Amino acid sequence: MPMGHTATQQAGSGGLTATEHRLANGLRVVLSEDHLTPVAAVCLWYDVGSRHEVKGRTGLAHLFEHLMFQGSAQVKGNGHFELVQGAGGSLNGTTSFERTNYFETMPAHQVELALWLEADRMGSLLTALDDESMENQRDVVKNERRQRYDNVPYGTAFEKLTAMAYPEGHPYHHTPIGSMADLDAASLEDARAFFRTYYAPGNAVLAVVGDIDPEQTLAWIEKYFGSIPAHDGKQPPRDGTLPDTIGAELREVVREEVPSRALMAAYRLPHDGTRESDAADLALTILGGGESSRLHNRLVRHDRTAVAAGFGLLRLAGAPSLGWLDVKASGGVEVPAIEAAVDEELARFAVEGPTPQEMERAQAQLEREWLDRLATVSGRADELCRFAVLFGDPQLALTAVQRILEVTPEEVQAVAKARLHPGNRAVLVYEPTAPQDSAAADQNEEEETAK
Amino acid sequence: MSDAVAASTPQMEFHPQPGPGRATPWAFPAPERSRLDNGLTVLRCHRPGQQVIAVEVSLDAPLEAEPTGLDGVATIMARAFSEGTDKLSAEDFTAELERCGATLDAHADHPAVRVSLEVPASRLDKALGLLADALRAPAFPDNEVERLVNNRLDEIPHELANPARRAAMALAAEIFPADSRLSRPRQGTEETVARIDAAAVRAFYEAHVRPATATVVVVGDFTGIDLDEVLGTSLGAWTGASAETRPVPAVSTDDTGRVVIVDRPGAVQTQLLIGRVGPDRHERVWPAQVLGTYCLGGTLTSRLDRVLREEKGYTYGVRAFGQVLRSAPPSSTGAGTGMLAISGSVDTPNTGPALEDLWTVLRTLAAEGLTEAERDVAVQNLVGVAPLKYETAAAVAGTLADQVEQFLPDDFQARMYERLAETGTVEATAAAVNAFPVDRMVTVLVGDAAEITEPVKALGIGPVTVIPA
Repeated sequence: MPMGHTATQQAGSGGLTATEHRLANGLRVVLSEDHLTPVAAVCLWYDVGSRHEVKGRTGLAHLFEHLMFQGSAQVKGNGHFELVQGAGGSLNGTTSFERTNYFETMPAHQVELALWLEADRMGSLLTALDDESMENQRDVVKNERRQRYDNVPYGTAFEKLTAMAYPEGHPYHHTPIGSMADLDAASLEDARAFFRTYYAPGNAVLAVVGDIDPEQTLAWIEKYFGSIPAHDGKQPPRDGTLPDTIGAELREVVREEVPSRALMAAYRLPHDGTRESDAADLALTILGGGESSRLHNRLVRHDRTAVAAGFGLLRLAGAPSLGWLDVKASGGVEVPAIEAAVDEELARFAVEGPTPQEMERAQAQLEREWLDRLATVSGRADELCRFAVLFGDPQLALTAVQRILEVTPEEVQAVAKARLHPGNRAVLVYEPTAPQDSAAADQNEEEETAK
Repeated sequence: MSDAVAASTPQMEFHPQPGPGRATPWAFPAPERSRLDNGLTVLRCHRPGQQVIAVEVSLDAPLEAEPTGLDGVATIMARAFSEGTDKLSAEDFTAELERCGATLDAHADHPAVRVSLEVPASRLDKALGLLADALRAPAFPDNEVERLVNNRLDEIPHELANPARRAAMALAAEIFPADSRLSRPRQGTEETVARIDAAAVRAFYEAHVRPATATVVVVGDFTGIDLDEVLGTSLGAWTGASAETRPVPAVSTDDTGRVVIVDRPGAVQTQLLIGRVGPDRHERVWPAQVLGTYCLGGTLTSRLDRVLREEKGYTYGVRAFGQVLRSAPPSSTGAGTGMLAISGSVDTPNTGPALEDLWTVLRTLAAEGLTEAERDVAVQNLVGVAPLKYETAAAVAGTLADQVEQFLPDDFQARMYERLAETGTVEATAAAVNAFPVDRMVTVLVGDAAEITEPVKALGIGPVTVIPA
């Protein structure tokens, strides 16, 4: 049996090594050298995400991420963007349930600038933060919400599934984008308090990867970040513990103007960082990843009841991960026909387990995805931060693919049997409604105007 | 933490902004060009450390070659390449590819059908063998083609419901005449796709797919790989007729300033796409236009977002861009065709004010031009990001294949960086103003007509037509 068959000798790590350091103020640093291309990535993960938000302030972590680009003591206005781009770099920040990350990819000779910029805002954001930035970025984020979620078909499906899979009051019940009402309610003082609580050197991991001189890089990090005072006001996030399974199926039917019927579902899966979560990844890949998966073959190829059918995995460390089923119905096909076929395939998989060929395909696919992430300095820096922040050990990034290759078919079957059944899912069914006609769009729609 | 404690928190020590270190020279990679005995053109590029090899095959089967009334047949053919060969059934073919850890994507666009393979280096030979079989001896089974056609028909309503896709379709239909393939959706309409069957796919394949008119680009870490051997035993076994040159049709356009509203009652945002026809990369103005377009709307610190996003908060982001749709060989008399556009989405109540500000930005640009500082930052960014942008094998392979399809020399991108650096503020300003003339832009708005029509009419940016979604 071709278990553990790898595409590369180093099993995906590509000979990558990383060193770890810690400044006196608590900032953890990970460095990884690679001189093949004259570029370097600076990546900073703060251990704060939407799970740290409180009731009535959903979306604050993400709104705050925007404020981090509005200037700090020595950086005026949009200077962070202007300086990085003017140096030939690219940059951004993102917010998820469990962390907020900021990253710059620079030509190697400009890496010091990125470190100076990140240190300036870590140490002095509040001296520049004002009402004008707050009001402006509140509007920008509300438009981000409209563009990515509210104005696209099925755009709020993930939000609805999450709200079902994690009960009211659970830290993962709401998604990072937050609600319009809470975005409106966030105050400048909320933002200030958020920064004071979470944007501390001891609550962050900084990775620098690429064409760097590690000694010089560490000296720069000490110079720019070293004097930022340590502070420790952070409260642990609310407990994300939940039973392994939901217990009984939850279901919601959405009647909206969407192009076709859809069946979506979220299954509670093992926490990220466990061997069981790697087994779940393989199970979802075999069942619903790519065009040779069981669900694609059944629904799209054989039954012809679906336009597309697949599974995705949202890995989470502080709460159960989510397996996300997404099936868009073909033509006039009704959801029950699709659901019966899905249930049949999942039940059969739980009884039979994967074939050797399926294991080989799934492991090869996940290995390539891993190689893709490691193909760029920014991808590597992000993975090193991820393992450092969520699991306390960046070195785990270097062996992640090997762990996936070690999972056995029995483990894949076991996780499918325990988790991929109707009693452990939240189901979302979309039933299209007729297009709203122009006359029906009356003035009641206007209450969202924010100015 | 209490305010009293916060106020007494010691400050960090500040240092002046550091300057750059010494830059390491970097150049866009030069590919090695060769030809197999069957006429297949090969471009290869060794990129140390890139363990996932990227393979791009460009087939000279442009959309304009699709038979009348069969728009979408190139797309169905592209998808049907992975539906089995003379050796493997459709399901077995896909399974074997995935067993290599490979991905295979194929799509049809105006200049060519592009088949893209990515695979870990250790399994390149096996994956290339499968790709070669798909191109050399595709099975195109009746039932699988029928399924792909039905699947494609099912996709169309999803595309029409996507505001950005809907806007792109409406703009193409506005700026190009109906008899130009450029005016119609790349993947066909419900009417044309429904006519496609396996016989039509095979006929299109036989007429347009052969090694003599195809190019393969291979990029990645070739350490330990005998690429000539691997290519010879895979794509080298593909046979077909010799090459013929194909004339590229000339295109007329209509860029009279006007507005088309695609009505989506109840939409919380208006998707905007403001465009016109532009040049392709063969035109001398291209580098200046790239610079000027970046200054106008390349990033959130460009002129449009500085106002629309960072001052007014009307949008998550608005971008200006130029893209090439179809180029002609330098030897031909026809000129290439590109599209210039500004796109983004703004909240419904602010649609009128946002468009007014947008036009003010364009008028100010025309009246006052770009500043030297803007031009300098744009050059520094566009040239400086090159090593980042081309870090992966896939990025390099994609650009090399684009160059081939656009009849550009292999060193076009490498030279582009020198040309950008040589372009001055005056040229960049002229290019930007010519690219986005205030009275000759076609504005497509996908949004709630009941809410936005009157405010848009009041702007005086052209006559307004409302069409159903």
